[in-house]
Formats: sequence, C-alpha cells, structure tokens
Amino acid sequence: MPSFFKLSQRKKLRSKVKKQKEDPMKVDELTEPIYPLLEDQLSFIKRKTGNSADVVVRKASFDEKLGIKTAVVYVEGISNSQSINEFLIQSIIMNRELHRKSPEKDPFDILKEEIVALGDVKIHLDWDGVFQSLMSGETIVLVDGCSKALSASTRGGEQRSIEEPGSQVTVRGPRDGFTESIGTNISLVRRRIQNPNLWVETMKIGTVTKTDVSLVYIKGIAKEDIVNEVRSRLKRIEIDSILESGYIEQLIEDESFTTFPTFYYTERPDIVAGNLLEGRVSIMVNGTPFALIAPTVFIQFFQSVEDYYSRAYLATSLRFLRILIFFISIIAPASYIAGTTFHQEMIPTQLLIAIAAQRETVPFPAFVEALIMEVAFEILREAGVRMPRAVGSAISIVGALVIGQAAVQAGIVSPAMVIIVAITAIANFATPSFAVAISARIIRFLFMVVAATFGFYGIILGILVLAIHLTSLRSFGVPYFAPLAPLVPSGLGDSVVRTPMWALKKRPSLIANKQNQTRMGKNQHPRPNKSRGMVPRHPQEDQE
Amino acid sequence: MEKAKIGAYQLFVLILLFELGSAVLVPIAIEAKRDAWLAILLGMVGGILLFFVYYRLYRFYPKLVLTEYIEKLVGKILGKILSFCYILFFAYSAARVLRDFGEMLLTYAYVNTPLFIVNTLLILVIIYAIQKGIEVLARTGELFFILLYLLAITGFLLLIFSGLFDLKQLKPFLEDGWGLVLKVVASQTLYVPFGEAIVFAMIFPYLKDSKKIKIAGVCGILLSGINLALVMAINISVLGIDLASRSQFPLLSTVQSIQIAEFLERLDVFFMVSMVIGIFFKVSLYFYAAVSATTILFKIKEPSKLVYPMGLAILFMSITIANSYSEHIKEGLIVTTRFLHPFFLVVIPVILLGIAYFKNWGRKRKSQNGAKNASMSQKG
Repeated sequence: MPSFFKLSQRKKLRSKVKKQKEDPMKVDELTEPIYPLLEDQLSFIKRKTGNSADVVVRKASFDEKLGIKTAVVYVEGISNSQSINEFLIQSIIMNRELHRKSPEKDPFDILKEEIVALGDVKIHLDWDGVFQSLMSGETIVLVDGCSKALSASTRGGEQRSIEEPGSQVTVRGPRDGFTESIGTNISLVRRRIQNPNLWVETMKIGTVTKTDVSLVYIKGIAKEDIVNEVRSRLKRIEIDSILESGYIEQLIEDESFTTFPTFYYTERPDIVAGNLLEGRVSIMVNGTPFALIAPTVFIQFFQSVEDYYSRAYLATSLRFLRILIFFISIIAPASYIAGTTFHQEMIPTQLLIAIAAQRETVPFPAFVEALIMEVAFEILREAGVRMPRAVGSAISIVGALVIGQAAVQAGIVSPAMVIIVAITAIANFATPSFAVAISARIIRFLFMVVAATFGFYGIILGILVLAIHLTSLRSFGVPYFAPLAPLVPSGLGDSVVRTPMWALKKRPSLIANKQNQTRMGKNQHPRPNKSRGMVPRHPQEDQE
Repeated sequence: MEKAKIGAYQLFVLILLFELGSAVLVPIAIEAKRDAWLAILLGMVGGILLFFVYYRLYRFYPKLVLTEYIEKLVGKILGKILSFCYILFFAYSAARVLRDFGEMLLTYAYVNTPLFIVNTLLILVIIYAIQKGIEVLARTGELFFILLYLLAITGFLLLIFSGLFDLKQLKPFLEDGWGLVLKVVASQTLYVPFGEAIVFAMIFPYLKDSKKIKIAGVCGILLSGINLALVMAINISVLGIDLASRSQFPLLSTVQSIQIAEFLERLDVFFMVSMVIGIFFKVSLYFYAAVSATTILFKIKEPSKLVYPMGLAILFMSITIANSYSEHIKEGLIVTTRFLHPFFLVVIPVILLGIAYFKNWGRKRKSQNGAKNASMSQKG
C-alpha cells in the first residue's frame, strides 16, 4: 500500500525538477564559467535560447589534424550578416593553417589576435556576458577546449533610416530626426557637438529587456550635482522592461502627482544639442526616437527650436502668442460659461443680446452645452489620432458636420459655443509642446466645472491653484517656473522674450555649471562699417 | 520653522502684495476726505519707522522669529503668554480679512451665495498654498505681482483714455487742517496696512541675504504706500469726494465708470482679480505667521499637519466674529484699530526693542571691557 507520505514526497521531487526546466533565466547557472567542450557550450546556448530559430550557429573546423573546432553564434536580424560572413566566417576558413604553423600557441589567442577582423572584441569568462553580447547583436566565437568566449561587435540589421521628425516640425532648421537606434541617435548629437567633452554614459536597465540607456551631457557645462542626481536616479530603477523613454520619465521624475511634464522630450537632435549646450542632460533610450531632457522649466514648453533660428523680435512675439494660446486653451470655455451664467452684466450689451438670441432655442444650461461640445470634440480628436490614415478624412468630414452645422441647426448648441470650442481646439493644437497641450486639455474641464459653480471667482481661484501648483514643482531641484518665479534676472533674456543672439551671453544660471556660464566673447553685437548714410565722408572718395 | 530660503526680491513682492492686499479695495483714510492720499503717505512714513523697529529686533536675533525672541526677551512664562496672544492676533487678523473679502464678494457679485461657501473656497486654496510652504507662496507672489501690475497699468491707461480724471476734485488741499490728517494717520493708516508688516517678523529668518531685508522692506512699503495714495487720489478725482466717501468699494466704482467705445465697460473682472489676489496673499501671510508661531510655541514636529485644523478654525472664526457686515465693520473700527493694533503692532514691539537694547547694552559693555582688558594685557 503506497503510503501517503511517500506520495507527497515524490510530488515534491517532481515539481522541483519541473521548476528547473521552466526557468531558463536562472541566475546561478548563468554566472557559471563557460564549459570547455564545444558541444556542451553549443547545447547550453541552444537550451538557454529555447532553440530559437533566429539564433544561428555556424561550426567550422579550425585545425583538422588536431580536431579543433570553432563555432560562430549570432542572432539573425539584429546583427550585420555581411560583416559576420566576411570578417568572421570567411576569415576563419581562410586562415585555418595559422594554427598548424604555430601549434604551440593557444588557438583562442590566434583567433583573437590574427583572425577576427572586427573592431570591438571582448573576452567573456561566464555565460552572463556571453548572452548579453549575443542578445545585443554581437557575434560569439567559441573554440573547442577553451572555457572562454569571444564576442565581436557586429551590431546591425534593419533599422528605420533617418527621417524628418513627425513632431516638432519647423520651417527653418535641420531636417533629421532620431530613430529607434540609440547608436544613430548619439551619433546625430555628436555630429553637432564635435567635442571630447560630450560624455555618454551607457547602462543597461530592465531585468528582462536589458535596454541600453545613455546619459548624455557635456562635461564642464552640465552641473555635476545634476548629473550625479540623474545618474543615481537611473541606477535606482529596478523594472523588468524599458520600452520607451516614458518608462524612465515616470520612474525618476520629481513629482508624479501632476499633469505637467517635468521632462522635456524631443525627437530632434538639434534640440538635444542646444539643451546640452545650456547645461542640461539628456537621457536616450534604445528603441525609441524620443530623448528626454532634464532639468526642465515650464517656459521651455513655450519655446520652439525655431525661435533660435529666426529673428529675435519674431521669436519674442511668437512666444507671447503661445502663452496667450495656453491661456485660451485652458479658460476659453470656462469664461464663456462664467460670463453667460453669472456675469451677464460684464458682457457688452450688444454682444449679450446676440448671445442670448442664439441661446434662445438651446435647451441646456451653458455648462452642459459646453461639456457636450468639448466631449464631442475630444472624441473626434481621439478618433482622428487612432484611426488608420485612410479613414482620417472621413472623420474630419463627419466631425465638421456634427460639431458644426448639424448641432447648431438641431438647436442643441449655440453658434457662439461652436466658435468657442473651435478656438479652444485650435489653440490646443497650436501649443508647441504636446505634453503641455494634453495637460491643458484635462485642466480645461476642471476649469469648466469651477466656472459653472462659482463663475469668475472660481476661475480666478483655479488660476491661483494652478500657479501654486506650478511654482511648487521642481525638476531635478530646479524650480519649475524659473527664471520667472523665482526671478533670475540673467535668465530673463531667454524666457518669455528672446533677446537677440548677441545679448544671450550667459547660460541659464540655475542649470549650467557655475564656473562655465559665459557662452560668447565680448562685443558680439554686429557693428559693420556703414558705407552710406550719416557717416563721415573721406576726402579721397570725393576725388575718385 | 520649515526648511526654506527666500530672496530679497521675493520678500519685497510679498510685502508689497500684503500691504496692497485689502487696503487697495476699501476706502482707507477716507475720513481725511480729500487729503486721504496725504494721510496714507504719512502713515507710510510711520510704517517705515515701525518696520525699522521690527528689523532692529530681528538684527538682535537674526536666526529667530518674533515669537521665539519674545521668550528670550521677557522670560519664559510671560513670553509664552505673549506668543500665544500673537497667535490669536494673527489668526484673528486672517479671519477678519477673510470676512472682509467674503462680504465684499457677496455685496457686489454673488448676492445669493452663502458667505460660508465663498470663504471656504478661498481658505481651501490658502491651505493648499500654505502646505507647500513659504517658498512656493513667495514664487506665486512673484507671478501675481506681475499680473497685478499689468492689470493696474491697463486700468490706469483706460481711465485716462475715458477722460474721467478731474484733478480739481482733490482741491482744496488741507481743507480741515493738519489735525484731521494726523488723527487719521494715528488712528488708522499707521496700522492698516503699514504696521501690519509685523507678520514679516515671522519670515525674516528665511531670507538668504539678511542684509537686504532693510532695503527690500523699505522699498516694499514705499511702493505700496505710493500706490495706495495714488489709487485713493484717483478714486477721489474720478468719483468726487461725496461718492468716494459713500462708496463701500471706491476702486470698484472707479473701475466700473470706465467706458470706452461702448465696448470696454464694466471691467469688474479687473477688480475681482486684484481683490482675490490681494486678499489671498494677505490671509496667507497672516495664516502662515499663525501656523509658524503655533508650531514653535507648542513644538509641533510637522507643521503641515497643523494647516488643516488652523484653516478650519480661521474659516469658522471668519464667519462667527460678527453677525452682520455692519457689526463687523464696527468691530474693526473700535476693537481692532483702537486696542489690538496699537498694542500688538506698536507698544509690544517698542517695549521689546527697549528690553533688547538694554540687555545687549549690558552685554556689549562687558564684551567691550573684555576686549579692552585683553588689548591692555597684550600691550602690558
């Protein structure tokens, strides 16, 4: 009679065995040294990768007499197969006799020093390093009888080529944008800042994905404490995966209870370069074209990179326009509600009569009317963003009909409300930063609620709360509303206004390194000799 | 005390907003009739002198706030009692200003809204701000300082364009002689708003650069005094003395009289914005002083936890201190300006300063003697 005790014991044993089989990423196995026999090595790799089809193993005999074999292992698709074929496999096959000529040498050293014709070569003693290299696109060379492995940098494979970025389009300015490859992205920045002080610190984050994350800054311009703070926050991250820079942003930001971004993100290398030169640091993540920039101040979201390429007066007036736009997109529907519900006496009589006449047939209070329209618009926009491109035009036609004419003709909303919603929507689109535009969208609804309950008093209180909230934020210790609050006089030249280039003598003092704040020489104001006008005339010129 | 640092410019802005606060809205010094502006300016001079008293006290104890050095100066028991009185004074002042605000808003815009709701909303915002600390309050101040002056300049230009000025309304100068003006100064403008700067004695130690306190404070009081005098003069010259003295909110009446091209009229929003901003900072600073003094007196470890109950207390106080607006005003004129203000803003600080001089005089002499002896012995 089988005893109950025995049975349970057997079950335990079985489950233990199962567990070992199921968990291929078991750590202690990976830290083991590499086995000496090639067959063992290859079977281990195959077992670990679950016989995946894209892991290619190419065996070749190295010294037929002694029976030394080598194997080349790489992952298809993320490695450059042309260089593997030319500089590894071909080279190994062609140079077989090298070991025969000098058999006293270690075949591994011969391979490393004389055969592998590739740049970055590393030797691994344990499996952990082997797999990391293999999975990042490098090629592993194994030799029979040697308990070490060689990895050669053959990263490559298909990538999106450099294209014009879809967001942050400019009329004037460079046309290249980041891609999904971190190497390309760093090279785009380095091409702009050809200086050894541009430092790139790369680390792997994500216990499963092992994503390359680079911290980029200019040594000597970036503040040391900020760089250290960013680095330590990055090191703190323990997560299984990093699929986009947004993951990192949300894990290292100063304040998460806010709709406002405390990081600037961009897919334009010129913006990254400009910000690095102001002393900021950039965080780039492999697999996404969006680089993060920190520390960020609020006014940055109202600046476009084109401001620096175009004339200062134009840039300044555009910045004023953008701030106005931000306010419109937040409080336009709210003030309509407040005006028509609570403060009719403040609206000029003619206008009031016009609005009242329009609203005569509308069955809803102004708040409901506004809410209907705003929600309808948000639905349309969300549809426009997510729909396949081909259907996009259909959406816009339906939207124009629904939001515009039909709603008015049906007497559900007043034409004035349509105008308000349209202005708000356009203002929202015109906000240069998408991140701020999104938070304005959310805040707008809150403002509508307070306006419907308390009129302008509610709106003013809302603005107060917004201001308190914004000034209480910090991005890596830098006050979010600098240089306006706290006022930093030297930073005002590039805030709401942009002074001409020759007047932007200093880097932002809260962000850049204290010792290195001057960014241009003296007398940069262009003063060419005048040839005409009220200039003293030379007597010689007269004679001619 | 929280861990914070503010700059001299921020102090300047806070003082300015605090002084303008409610004073710019109500008819201050209107008892001096056409010479209200003069009474304000003279009050400002007195206010600056009072500010020097507070500043001098601070210089004796540059790391301590008012309620801390009171204990050092008059002894532990009496000091604690006085500190407690100051807490009550700050809280009561905050409640008074809040009540003023609520009544103002009810009279002219929200006739049917209960006072409780209006006050609750503002105190919630203030609680939020105070929880964030003095740094955030100062930064918010910087932003709204700009907004307030933009509004003021626009309003001023609009007044000029609508051609409402009549400077003759300000004449005759000194109709009732200096007596009336000085009486108004002594009974009103010296304390409200200028003497109220005593709340900044609770904030001075936060300054990054303590040497700039003097200049920031004097500039703040000076600018606010000039602005208040200007506003009052404008009110009288636009409305005329009769209307101005009868109006509850002369600034509102002035703003409402703007009329340009039959489109820009009834710019009440201007008034409402400046009102909410001004009152917000005035209540906040009083509130902050009260919270800060309470944490020090009762040695509370987390000041932020005190903010909610204190806010609630101020809210209820603001509603229960008077049954009606007229009672509230009467209380303000009799109790506050005759007893509370002279006592808390002038008498106690001056006595404290006297004690401080006395104490430090003795100490200085000792140290001087010591130094002399040392040098003598060196020579010997």
